[in-house]
Amino acid sequence: MSIGDNGSARGSIGSGLVVENLHVAYGGVPAVRGISLEVKAGEAVGLIGPNGAGKSSTLLAIMGAIGRTGRVLVDGRDIAGLPPEKVVRTGVALVPEGRHVFAELTVADNLRLGAVGRRDRSGYAEALEQILTMFPILRDFGHRQAGLLSGGQQQQLAIGRALMSDPDILMLDEPSLGLSPTAVDTVFEALDLIRGAGKAVLVVEQRAEFTIAFCDRTFVLHDGEITLTLKPEDAEKVDVLTKAYFG
Amino acid sequence: MMSQLIQSIVDALSAGATLGLAALAIGLVFGVIRLANFAQAEIITGSAYCLIFTWDLGWYVAIPLSILVAIAMSLLMEFAVFSRMRTANPATLLIASFGLSFLIQRVYELMFSNNVRTAPVASGLAQTVEFAGVRVQLLSIATIVIAGALLLGLQLFLTRTSQGLQLKAAAADFKTARLVGIPAGRVIGLSFALSGILSAAVAFVLTVQTGAVGPSFGVQITILALVGAVIGGIDKISGSLAGGFLVGFATSMLATWLPQEMSNFKDAFVFVLVIGVLLFRPSGLLIKGRGVART
Amino acid sequence: MIDRTATSDEVALSAPRGLWYRLGPIWSLISLLAIVYLVTLVNSFLGDSVQVQLQYALVNLIIVVALQIFIGTSGVLSFGHVAFVAVGAWTVGLLTIEPELKRNLLPDLFPFLFDLNAPWFVAVLIGGIVGGLLALVVSPVLMRLNGLQAGIATFALLGVVNQVLTYWSSIGPRSGQSMVGIPDVLNLQTTMLFAMAAIVAAWLFQRTKPSRLLRAAREDGIAAASSGINVVSQRIIVFAVSGIVAGVAGGLFALTNRVVQSSQLNIELTFITLAMLVLGGMLSLSGAVIGTLVFSLVDVLLVRMQNGLEIGNFIVTVPQGARAIVLGLILVGMLLFRPSGITGGREFVWPFRKDRPLPGMPPTNEA
Repeated sequence: MSIGDNGSARGSIGSGLVVENLHVAYGGVPAVRGISLEVKAGEAVGLIGPNGAGKSSTLLAIMGAIGRTGRVLVDGRDIAGLPPEKVVRTGVALVPEGRHVFAELTVADNLRLGAVGRRDRSGYAEALEQILTMFPILRDFGHRQAGLLSGGQQQQLAIGRALMSDPDILMLDEPSLGLSPTAVDTVFEALDLIRGAGKAVLVVEQRAEFTIAFCDRTFVLHDGEITLTLKPEDAEKVDVLTKAYFG
Repeated sequence: MMSQLIQSIVDALSAGATLGLAALAIGLVFGVIRLANFAQAEIITGSAYCLIFTWDLGWYVAIPLSILVAIAMSLLMEFAVFSRMRTANPATLLIASFGLSFLIQRVYELMFSNNVRTAPVASGLAQTVEFAGVRVQLLSIATIVIAGALLLGLQLFLTRTSQGLQLKAAAADFKTARLVGIPAGRVIGLSFALSGILSAAVAFVLTVQTGAVGPSFGVQITILALVGAVIGGIDKISGSLAGGFLVGFATSMLATWLPQEMSNFKDAFVFVLVIGVLLFRPSGLLIKGRGVART
Repeated sequence: MIDRTATSDEVALSAPRGLWYRLGPIWSLISLLAIVYLVTLVNSFLGDSVQVQLQYALVNLIIVVALQIFIGTSGVLSFGHVAFVAVGAWTVGLLTIEPELKRNLLPDLFPFLFDLNAPWFVAVLIGGIVGGLLALVVSPVLMRLNGLQAGIATFALLGVVNQVLTYWSSIGPRSGQSMVGIPDVLNLQTTMLFAMAAIVAAWLFQRTKPSRLLRAAREDGIAAASSGINVVSQRIIVFAVSGIVAGVAGGLFALTNRVVQSSQLNIELTFITLAMLVLGGMLSLSGAVIGTLVFSLVDVLLVRMQNGLEIGNFIVTVPQGARAIVLGLILVGMLLFRPSGITGGREFVWPFRKDRPLPGMPPTNEA
């Protein structure tokens, strides 16, 4: 465990996501205050912390969905000022909080829409096949309205939809929110596969212990700043967890 | 009596179809950028002026031109005004569209004077045909056919093409659509263009009906369409369509069947109905539950 | 909770600062009254036609103040206030036209209305009461709604009222005709006093509990709900008060125009008055006053320029019809570049001190 060190070689050029000195403010009120982090290919990084710590804002800022200052590098390229639809095309995908599947559309159409942000169209069929293998339920319910799926199934669809854009970096905002324990297991097993496939995974979570154990590194956010960096073995240490929660 | 009933139903269907299209045009844009565009009235008027002025050149010139004018005006409004107000709330946007409507009406007054302009646009459709004892206006049937064809085309576009699917997704949840990678500018443009096409259809039907176009030609129907869209559920494309249809149908039926001394009050009845619907289903007839309206 | 969202007025009142600080809000009232007075004074030298236009402008000012009382306080849009103006105008028409004339001109009236008569001043006050009562009666229904739905429902109210007034000859002229024979009793100075009274009333009302609670709720709806403010019942009070002011304005409109026709009290007037409010800034009383006066002055100027305005040796002329276009452009431009209006939702403050402005309506960041 180390405090204040974000465990990353800053500014390194390479595959993955590098965030440097990210700031976000809503109407003059700061939500994220100078966060720096790195997620390498094949690595999962967690962001935990109390409500309002700036976790979601960090993800949305990386996506370009809210205004920000600071550098965000994707595979070494600065994506400053790009709107979300362009950020997707640089190989970043976000599974938003609350899943936000297109409830009126079919599962198949949801997946099809996910492919709008693909950089190359050629791998479409292959990507779809991989996703349907990872989440068989989506194959079975292909023609069902997405809004009729259960929460866990919708989460699988939301992840599948994000993967359809063939991202190098997959970000998830509270994927376990409101899901049953089995559904959570399904989601994190899938994330493990995705990490194994060489993608960079950045996940925001409320469930600290679980996240710390799963991720290669986990950052604790307080008031828009990273206050702790944790390793998987820290999940066992009660005092560390307490510190993570109560600052 | 029976034939009169059928006749009134055909008329009401036609009125409902026209208003449904107008409301759908509003709903399509609202779904994407949360703008209830009152200035759509002036798109209808502009398209109608175009029909009147170019009808001499033949329908095959006048109709495509009137559609082009509607699309161009719709896109121009978006580009010149609404695209610069992306952070405004729906109420401010509505007022802005009121202002734009007012402004363009005055421009029409300056360009074409306050008097109505007339031309025998598709006068053949004004005939009445008798069918098994039922007399109906050819225009009523044509209106229903036009609306049906447009709706079918739109439905196919929205469900079978990638662009259509993207528009549908954006109309349902614009933020998520952008996160998924759907280009904002393109779907917004698409929604305005489609809304222009629908407005052109409305303009055609109304122009044939009245044969006369003045600066405030499109205002009345746009007001009713806006009302219809909101009570049907402006958050949903199908809601706007259904609400518009309902208001048109009800107004037409009331006009026929209200007793003579009450018929002056038909709009009042419709408006009371509207308030009632809003009270019990504030987010619209087709939106399930009371829900929190997105406005 | 309320303390946290207290408006700057209250902060200013409770802060132990200098005299001017305490008198800040009063300063805003005094300056508004002074502006209205000066504008009236200056314009009364500019000839009869300007005086007539100014009298209409002052009537509009009262309508806009009524709109501001409701919209500015609740943050909810209303397209229905002209309905209250209309019933106010109707009331004054019915109460001030000579009974003999009434019998001839409005033969279908309910019999008891023939002999009902009141001095014009009393009639105007009754017009206000009728406007307020109408607002009160419909408010339990309308005040539950928000946003676009509220806009459409209030608009529907206007539609109903307008049609009833147009066609119900038991309470007015036969369908589509106008009410004539309203006495010529109102002069510019009296109208100005009414406008000032409306401003004072609105200013005083801003300091009452319902207004403060509703403004707090507007700023932070969730906080207000969790602190137990019943938004609907506060809105009903505010709506009724603004209905009274609108009804009075309607009565004054009747006395100014001396002909009352339902088509004059419909969408166009709704739009013009809303435009004035938007121009000045919906969230402050100053906005209502400044918006109306600026809009009206530009209008006066443009009308003159359409007829050829002499400035020194030059004659400035604009084409007929340009007036409305310029007004439209001003409104659209204002919404584009300064959506919070001329005043930005602030009240006037004593110019020699720094003051925290009233918090403006924050733009929602939704796409």
